Amino acid sequence: MDRNQITKWLKSPAKMANKYSLHAVYFCTGCGIIEVPPSITARWDAERFGIIPVATPRQGNLFLITGYVSVKTLRAIIRTYEQMPEPKYVIGFGSCPINGGMYWDSYNTINHLDKYIPVDGWIAGCMPRPEAIFIGVTHLWTLIDKGMADGYIKYREYYGAYRRNQEMVLGKLEWPPLFPLTDDPRGDEQ
Amino acid sequence: MSKSIKEALESTFRDVQVSFREDNRMAVTAENESVLPILRFLKDAGFDHLSLISVVDWIEDNLFELCYFLTPYMQNDDEYTDRQKLHIILKTPLPRDEPRFKTVIGLFPNAEPYEREIHEFFGIDFEGHPRLTPLLLERDYEVPPFRKDFDTRKYVAELLDSVPPIETKKK
Repeated sequence: MDRNQITKWLKSPAKMANKYSLHAVYFCTGCGIIEVPPSITARWDAERFGIIPVATPRQGNLFLITGYVSVKTLRAIIRTYEQMPEPKYVIGFGSCPINGGMYWDSYNTINHLDKYIPVDGWIAGCMPRPEAIFIGVTHLWTLIDKGMADGYIKYREYYGAYRRNQEMVLGKLEWPPLFPLTDDPRGDEQ
Repeated sequence: MSKSIKEALESTFRDVQVSFREDNRMAVTAENESVLPILRFLKDAGFDHLSLISVVDWIEDNLFELCYFLTPYMQNDDEYTDRQKLHIILKTPLPRDEPRFKTVIGLFPNAEPYEREIHEFFGIDFEGHPRLTPLLLERDYEVPPFRKDFDTRKYVAELLDSVPPIETKKK
């Protein structure tokens, strides 16, 4: 173990353990998933960074959105995200979740993913190389260290606004709200 | 083989235009009412695989063009090699306003998802189809989205760009 990190481990062991054992939900949206099998297997070996793909969302805490998000996939993404245990982190992978990418004027593709679920980091590119995943993950470590990867807290606080945005696109959602609905996105300001 | 199919089609049906794009690609244009008999004829002639149904939207002519793609499966007869190479496209025009057509599920059961998809994306009704329910799309569209007069940019501007970003309080 790196000697410099011993104090960090002693100070906040849970945070450090979270950081070094990110379990990625093996959820495939769009074309970006093509980069994930080489990243997690012998060639690039994501386990060096403590990332391992898991089968179900209830076991995972890292959510890689790999590629364009269609309206139908958005519903599945929201359901998956809400099932993941906290703390959970979302990385948008590729250009399409950021602003639609080459599908910006499509009839069926979501343009800005962060309007519907909180996203902690983006990896730009079409396609990003597997190395970019690891750069993104090391950046995510820094964010977790500084307590800035707080997307799941934001989701809880502004759930009303997120749910309203989700229902604007998907229509009435068939599952009950996960958190109390706050009407005002600015929350308890008054 | 391809020549004999052409002659048989032209002698059996009236108002049929048969042309060859290449040696092994045959395009047949027919009127609406003779599509089902032609399909049955071709199926009996060994073209028993409906590989695709597609639609072309000729908006300037105010027409839809329904295309059936037929190929034969492998068969253990002497004509196998010749017939295996031949692909047939059967085209028929439909009016763009209130397009309706008869289903071909009775002949080719695998036509069901194609017709559902065409109904969803082009708004063509297939009479006799058992369930024309949504297949791929999640939302309702005023104009079916694969028609040429569907304005995707307007749609995106009205729906997706109107979704507000999440405003967070600064800490």
